Amino acid sequence: MLSRTADNLFWMSRYVERAENIARVLHAASRMASVPGTSDGITNEWESALAASACLDAFVASGREVNAENVFEYLAFAEDNPASIRRCLEIARSNARAVRTALTYDTWEAINGAWIDMDRFRSADVSPSGLNRFISWVKEVSLRVDGSAYRTMLRNDAYWFSRLGVYIERADNTARILDVKYHVLLPETEPVGGGLDYFHWSTILRSVSALTAYHWVYRDSIKPWLVADLLILREEMPRSLASCYANLATFLDELARTYGRQGESQRQARRLHARLRNARTEEIFQGGLHEFLQSFIAENNRLGTAITEQYLV
Amino acid sequence: MHATTYRYATPAKYVIQKLRLTPRGHDGQHVRRWRIEIDHDCKLSERRDAFGNIVHTFTLMGTIDSLRITVDGDVETEDTAGVVSGAVERLPRPLYLRETNLTRPDAALEDYARRFASRPDRLDLLHELLADLHSRMTFDTTRTDSGTSAAEAFRLGHGVCQDFTHIFIAAARTLGIPARYVSGYFLHEATSATSEAGHAWAEAHVPDLGWVAFDPANGVCANANYVRVAIGLDYLDAAPVRGSQSGGTAEELGVRVDIRDASVQQ
Repeated sequence: MLSRTADNLFWMSRYVERAENIARVLHAASRMASVPGTSDGITNEWESALAASACLDAFVASGREVNAENVFEYLAFAEDNPASIRRCLEIARSNARAVRTALTYDTWEAINGAWIDMDRFRSADVSPSGLNRFISWVKEVSLRVDGSAYRTMLRNDAYWFSRLGVYIERADNTARILDVKYHVLLPETEPVGGGLDYFHWSTILRSVSALTAYHWVYRDSIKPWLVADLLILREEMPRSLASCYANLATFLDELARTYGRQGESQRQARRLHARLRNARTEEIFQGGLHEFLQSFIAENNRLGTAITEQYLV
Repeated sequence: MHATTYRYATPAKYVIQKLRLTPRGHDGQHVRRWRIEIDHDCKLSERRDAFGNIVHTFTLMGTIDSLRITVDGDVETEDTAGVVSGAVERLPRPLYLRETNLTRPDAALEDYARRFASRPDRLDLLHELLADLHSRMTFDTTRTDSGTSAAEAFRLGHGVCQDFTHIFIAAARTLGIPARYVSGYFLHEATSATSEAGHAWAEAHVPDLGWVAFDPANGVCANANYVRVAIGLDYLDAAPVRGSQSGGTAEELGVRVDIRDASVQQ
């Protein structure tokens, strides 16, 4: 396969996944904003949504004021935000079009149809109900792309590269959500791991579709360190870092077998996978959750770079 | 592929075993696929022991005249010059100075260890100990058994990888160096892939490097031909299979280990 083709497939998936993750972040923020503020009456959900999408600095630099309408418009539609949902779907589609023949009809239809439908939302309806309609639609797009690929694509290098894009992006996003929320949600007087508003924590779990899973796994009320355990170390939780890395290691193994060579990206993925399998929550908290997540995000980016250098250029 | 076969002269009624046969990943060792198969219906539960090893406990009831345990899997390894990083560390380092019955030195072994004490650099010291032990001892499967202690094997001058390892550990601990027993697999590059047993070597702690794997039976640091499965203070902590049965007699044990370099076949 041409490295150009592999690159298009990788980024196509990454951008669809990114669009879905931004939608999830927006959804969580709107839920949190919809309840009366906590004790101090000040809420910073919209700011933390920007931080979790790694867009806070760019947003502030654009001179916008932080409020619900502005943040929603910026993260969902803004032309001047290279990471808005609209731009993500546009980039995903142009990548897909470049490798039209490597995709099945169903997968191409899912991506192309999404881009055509995007125009329905162009007149940004920033009311709460408009926001919810839009968020549900983005999640459905991602489901259709993901599901059609899973059901129809040949299990060959085209499929592996597109899966790698999904899991690199997902791991990055889970780590960011956890990092941002942990610090946003903990008042300064509150030690990390202290008790907190149940509603906020359940919203975070909901934003990664993990609330029911949490109760199944722990059979306990929501405790911050268990939330971290679930989203970092639990391989049975499909959006956890450990699960993303189990998949990354597997798909990179498949590529290594197909091409009969292995390199830095296999080594990096295996190394991180082993670390996640061997770590324990106590150890992570002893060294600092924030430090752990920052270092994970950097290592995950390094894997993205290694994949690029080994296969995509 | 590692197969262990038991035959009971009179049928066993109840068998209980602990299997430490499942490797975990660390930097330079990636477990792609791993499976334990037992040729009877049985209860097989997985847990972690204090060292962080994966232990399967299986219990089997009924009349059993033979039993076969097979493990089979693919592991990717890289050469890390013996340095083991990113592995599970559950216990404080000083614990690995603790003596056990199998690794307790006698006066002769202590004197031997002290010959190396003057080396200022710990890594150099361990390499000298490794080379000296390798040349001094004779590999011989007929003189010792799984209950032979380090001191006895040292006195005999003969032993198998397990004895070499116990002596190395005893000498290192005598000098205040934390050391531990490792059981696993070793791929002989030159010879045929089939052997009668797994392999054993030692890990010793070196400042700034962490745990480093030394194989006194082969006189080298562990490399990409080694698969690390379990660790412990001595053989008893890390043994691949330990168990007991009631009602059976005279078990005859056959072990076959078949390790192949998969990269050669591609």
